[in-house]
Amino acid sequence: MIARAHPFDSRRVVGALFLAPALLYIVLIVGLPFLLAIAFGFSDVTVGNTDLNFVGLQNYLAVWENDIFRQVFETTVRFTLISQIFILIFANILAIIFTQNFTGKWFARFIFILPWATPVSLAMIGWLWMLDTKYSPIDYLLLQTGFLGPNGILSSNRNLFWLATPDLSQISVIFVQVWRMTPLATVILMAGLSSIPTDILDQAEVDGSRFMRTLLQIKLPLILPIMVIALLFSMITMFGDMTVVYVLTRGGPVDYTRVLGLYSFQVGIEGGNLAQGAAISLFAFPLLLAMAILMLRTASRAEVR
Amino acid sequence: MKRAIRLLIVFSMLAALGVGISAQGDYADGTEISLLQWSHFVPRYDEWFDAYAAEWGEANGVGVTVDHVNFTELFSTLAAEIDAGEGHTIVEVLFSPASFIDGLHDLRDINEQAMENWGERAATCQAASYLPVVDTYYAYTHGYVPDPGDYDIALWTDAGYPEGPKTYDDLLEGGRAIFESTGIPVGLGMSPELDSRMANRAAIWSFGGSVQDENENVVLNSEETIAAVKYLAQLQNEAMTDEVFGWTAASNNQGLIAGELSYILNSNSAYRSLQKIDEAAAANIGFTAALEGPAGAWASSHVWQIYVIPNYVEGDELAAAKQFILDHSANYSDATYYSELYNFPCHPSTVPELDGWLEEDPWGSMPPNKFEVLKTVNDWSVHLGFPGVTNPAISQVFAESVIPNMTAKVALGELSAEEAVAQAHERVEEIFSEWRAKGMVGGG
Repeated sequence: MIARAHPFDSRRVVGALFLAPALLYIVLIVGLPFLLAIAFGFSDVTVGNTDLNFVGLQNYLAVWENDIFRQVFETTVRFTLISQIFILIFANILAIIFTQNFTGKWFARFIFILPWATPVSLAMIGWLWMLDTKYSPIDYLLLQTGFLGPNGILSSNRNLFWLATPDLSQISVIFVQVWRMTPLATVILMAGLSSIPTDILDQAEVDGSRFMRTLLQIKLPLILPIMVIALLFSMITMFGDMTVVYVLTRGGPVDYTRVLGLYSFQVGIEGGNLAQGAAISLFAFPLLLAMAILMLRTASRAEVR
Repeated sequence: MKRAIRLLIVFSMLAALGVGISAQGDYADGTEISLLQWSHFVPRYDEWFDAYAAEWGEANGVGVTVDHVNFTELFSTLAAEIDAGEGHTIVEVLFSPASFIDGLHDLRDINEQAMENWGERAATCQAASYLPVVDTYYAYTHGYVPDPGDYDIALWTDAGYPEGPKTYDDLLEGGRAIFESTGIPVGLGMSPELDSRMANRAAIWSFGGSVQDENENVVLNSEETIAAVKYLAQLQNEAMTDEVFGWTAASNNQGLIAGELSYILNSNSAYRSLQKIDEAAAANIGFTAALEGPAGAWASSHVWQIYVIPNYVEGDELAAAKQFILDHSANYSDATYYSELYNFPCHPSTVPELDGWLEEDPWGSMPPNKFEVLKTVNDWSVHLGFPGVTNPAISQVFAESVIPNMTAKVALGELSAEEAVAQAHERVEEIFSEWRAKGMVGGG
């Protein structure tokens, strides 16, 4: 008698079952709201009336003609790109350090991961205090050490006004984003470095390869695909983020730190124009999609090679 | 016991006024109402309110629950509940929710009942409840918060203004003198936050400018607005520091409490906070009415206490909610008292004790008549859409911080006043056009 094959013996069935929870999660938490946002963007919905009356491209055209939107879009792209450069540099350095053997490595790793593990709103309240226009502890230290004050090297004021001047407010926001996102990128890169077969590294050592040569010609090329994934995660998270600027600057001074997520919220929820808020947020989608495709292709090619 | 007696007196007064309180049992068994409102700046108010709501529920056979959240969450929660078609029975917001109008019940009946019972209401409240273009009362505004000037008495006395600045010229001259001699600046914000939005509007109105006229036409780009913006930029350059470009809503409170600002525009919140930690320092804080400008003296109310009932509320729940709102207004003496004179009544006749309290603060101010200047508040306290109504376009202009950003650009030297006002006018026109197309703004 031949035993009947159990459905769970099929790789396709089991694979689909394992994939189902993740797919369901994506459809419910990401897919449906995304489709709703698209529908809102082509309608005239307000916060008080979400009946979908189709208005075509009217919202998108109105948003594009809005000078503030164009500035906000440019700011979002600039903040994201500058942050990624620093995140990539710091994450690589830290990943290499944390994959070495040294005393206190686990504690150092634990401390380092905290910025990413801390709820972002809570962390931003901490930074809001650190960068306060009047009571910043950083300013206090600079004042005590002579960098600020009447004869100060940096300024004759008692404060640098971190979140109040155009340049410093932008630097502050980028710095905080780098602080927040670097741990995630580092952890991903550490996983990549740890997965490099030791025989390759041993062979390089036997062949007399020094640290920099091993790093540049062996380690970095091998972790390039995973580095691209880390960068993609970081970019997408940052591009859509509004919490950092909502807590720190609310987009100010003037519009210098206003980003797409925040502007979409201000127009759509606080201003009541839900349709236009949705349109603003969706402007990011084609750009992010193009970046994602490009980066995933790059990662794929690097992996094959 | 005291609370029970007070409640009894209130209900007796209501009966005498013909409000028509429903006797217990008028609502179907199991009728429940729920309220969502902010965690009041004065915790004592919430303690009083929660107990009052529970007692009202017991007296009327209605289950009452009250949820308090941070005020920044009110609009997003209301939007979510309207979209979901379920949620709280009554939601209290602090700024006009005119853009929610399609999702809200028309409260004409209780607004008219209130005016019949207690006479005309403060104009600042009326304009934050009624949208003329659709002839609808989308809300019931029960209270508002004055936004007087708070000044450091010692500093301004030394500068030759013992009663604080009375005009915008005084503010510039005196504020500059204080800044030059002590390094302590004036504190009018120019940042994308609530207090900055109010302070900038107050100056523009007092110089004769405004975002819209009384017929809801955009008139921002005017000589008067340009003059106000030039004034504010000069004030910032000569009597303030750059900190005002990065302020949060709490920054001016913190600065005044720390003795590091000579003058701010705010509710009594900064003063009350100081009173609780340093009575002597609090005694050094004085209040001024709206400053006189070339065209008058106007200031925005600080916030409004606005009740709305979403469309999904029906039947006995709706009836009970309306009754609760009216009864609450009838009991406004307690609301004003327990908010430590933060809440002012939209119907002044509901708080006959108010003038007496302003002459002698029941919460121990020194001197006791510190708030006497607020007796004239209804002469100068206006709303965001002044001299028109607060419509959805005005709310969006407010949310986008168009006005403080316009001023900040000039103060930072990025644009001339003429350029900044023209640029802001263009954005305001866009916003008005969009809402006008939806039929929710008049004029055009």
